[in-house]
Amino acid sequence: MGGAARAIGWELRRRHRLGVIALGAYVIIFLAIKLVILGPGHPIRLNPPNGLAALIIAPVSMTLFYFVAVFSYGLSGDVAARQSIYPSRMFTMPVTTRALAGWPMLYGTSAAASLWIATAILVRWSGGADVYVPWVWPALLSAACLAWTQALMWMPYGLPGMRVVIAALWLAVVDAIVLLALNYKASELVMVAVCAPQIPFAYLVAWYAVGRARRGDNPDWRGLFAPRKTIASGFSRIEPRFLSPARAQTWFEWRRHGRTLPAMVAVVVPFELLLLFVPGNDTAPIVFLILFVVLFTPPFMAAFAAAALSTPTPFTARRPLTSAALIAAKLRMTVWSTIAAWLLAVTFSVVALLLSGRMPVVVERARAGIEVTGTLRGVAVVLFVFAAFFASTWKHLVQSLCVGLTGSEWLIKSSVLLALIALVAAGPLADGIIRSRIVQSAIWDSLPWILVVLVVLKMIAGSWVAIRLYDSRLLSDRALVSGAACWLATVLALFGVLEWFAASPLVPRYFLGAIAILQVPLARVSAAPVAIAWSRHR
Amino acid sequence: MSESVIKVSELTRRFGAKTALDSVSLCMPRGAVYGLVGANGAGKTTLIKHILGLLRAQRGSVRVFGLDPVDDPVAVLSRIGYLSEENDLPAWMRIDELLRYSRAFYPAWDDAYAEELRRTFALDAAATISHLSKGQKARAGLLVALAYRPELLVLDEPSSGLDPIVRRDILGAVIRTIADEGRTVLFSSHLLEEVEQVADHVTMISHGRIVLSGALAAIKESHRTGERVPSLDEIFIAQVGTPGASAAGT
Repeated sequence: MGGAARAIGWELRRRHRLGVIALGAYVIIFLAIKLVILGPGHPIRLNPPNGLAALIIAPVSMTLFYFVAVFSYGLSGDVAARQSIYPSRMFTMPVTTRALAGWPMLYGTSAAASLWIATAILVRWSGGADVYVPWVWPALLSAACLAWTQALMWMPYGLPGMRVVIAALWLAVVDAIVLLALNYKASELVMVAVCAPQIPFAYLVAWYAVGRARRGDNPDWRGLFAPRKTIASGFSRIEPRFLSPARAQTWFEWRRHGRTLPAMVAVVVPFELLLLFVPGNDTAPIVFLILFVVLFTPPFMAAFAAAALSTPTPFTARRPLTSAALIAAKLRMTVWSTIAAWLLAVTFSVVALLLSGRMPVVVERARAGIEVTGTLRGVAVVLFVFAAFFASTWKHLVQSLCVGLTGSEWLIKSSVLLALIALVAAGPLADGIIRSRIVQSAIWDSLPWILVVLVVLKMIAGSWVAIRLYDSRLLSDRALVSGAACWLATVLALFGVLEWFAASPLVPRYFLGAIAILQVPLARVSAAPVAIAWSRHR
Repeated sequence: MSESVIKVSELTRRFGAKTALDSVSLCMPRGAVYGLVGANGAGKTTLIKHILGLLRAQRGSVRVFGLDPVDDPVAVLSRIGYLSEENDLPAWMRIDELLRYSRAFYPAWDDAYAEELRRTFALDAAATISHLSKGQKARAGLLVALAYRPELLVLDEPSSGLDPIVRRDILGAVIRTIADEGRTVLFSSHLLEEVEQVADHVTMISHGRIVLSGALAAIKESHRTGERVPSLDEIFIAQVGTPGASAAGT
């Protein structure tokens, strides 16, 4: 048994040693900044959070998600599949099912609890925090959430995708119980009593789940949908053949990735819109706040959906299509995916507004807005806002293609790391800017130069990509010129719209022009054919 | 027969410190069944990937139908049927969807022949690929590779780990392909007995280098000892002669 425990632990440690090293390095750097540079006179403010708090909250949250993914074996399994994601290779190990379920759970819960205790030490040490940071119950809650995730991930299910739904709902219930207890100002002892018993229960569920998976006891409820499937296959038999390889490839991309974003939106937006049904949420500011959250959901979700659609496969690489045609199919798919996601978001919002009786609030505000701006300008503003959100969703879907399609692991990991660093640094930077008038005036004074540098960098990157495309003959001369003309026309159109809306002596034209240039995608989208060609013919 | 379908000249490929292919030269005539044999890790799949244009030649050159497969992937890939060792067909597709999708890329796709192959391979049109057994997946891959009667059929270790029935199907399909005059088969395998049955040209590759290449009959004749004609297995062990490589012939 000791051997099995050591082997399971060694495998987890060996595969994720770089993550552990990065975490350790971050803690050391944070402590160095807090102790040496800032000194004890800078407490961490959590209510509301200051920049220093962001340096703790963001990495700790991300590390907890990372631990959940690692210890539930979610990184190596298909979360949407019916079968357990517990690695089947481990089922043949000469150990009991209790050991298979127990050791990863013990390591995972210990890691989650340790993460909280380390966080509490970091927050309390040198300068302290402005709110009381408990030691025990948050550690137990982290451990319980991780244990439940493991148990629910390892369980075989009757339908594809059921795992995600059940895990999300159950974890929401666990969180709701804790939030309810906090709302009633439960003592720490009560909180411990709420959190601690969940871990053995989760272990029992995990034991049962791994046992079923180990003996191949996978339920299959897809037969319940057999009549629907028969009808669907009947339709597919009478579908006409694809008129061109490009259409076939677009269909392939749609079936493979196109439904991911609409599905994510369909899952998340209804929960957001449920807030409209909460009694008291009937004032204009709250209704519009909820609608704005809904508007931000598709672009936000697109950033996550993008990771999946930029994965190259050998099957795709062997299609008798040019690299540019493969990318064109992906781009067409992303447009359809964006349209589908927005249709869902808009439909759900309208239905929720009607059913909740909040529609009059929106109509009333819209009327008031039109009285101020005029009908044409009012409609144009609404259309412009929608177009901006739509474009932002599409942009989030496609802008990382050039990284993911290279298939280069170090490049993908580096870009994720850079994005996380930017995310972590954004809080303290914003905090620093808000607090310092000197910094604000310096930024304002140098704004033209900042914009010039960004525009020049973008144009250099765009030119470099264009030269690569020309040299490698990935795009024809006509396609290159047409692409450049389309980009220029889009920039000019956006500049015209911005000029129409925002023209005032306070907003100089160069500012609007720079915004238009920076907002319309150029280099990263154009680099996608270069990336796929590189990965396709290494 | 004299026209080359594949011409590889002085091809060298390194992955870090490991040399996967070392100055490999190869010329495959049209209409031949070419057996590419070697131990696991000898460089067979790397060579095939260069032929498909999935790897760019670091040194030397690769021409397929007289074209560079990297510079002109559409012209080359549309004339090649390929069955991969790691069956990588999209798991979510149904067989009928796979056929509908695949035929869009190949103008010479033959619906009647595809249907005949589907029936021969006993594949249910409504079955999803993820639900097929390994052997059924190999048959589905072979179906898609054959249905447009490609000028060049590339089979990368098609029989490894498969049951005798699937092997028979694959060999049967290969033989049918041979019967269609003028088409060419490149058949990579470490099952030498299988290669011996179907190939008329053999290239032996070991540690990234070609150790023997030529017509099978000529190779056997050149290794003849008195009245006894050695098997390909024996010739391979005699040529490669390392303990690791000898396992390949089993």
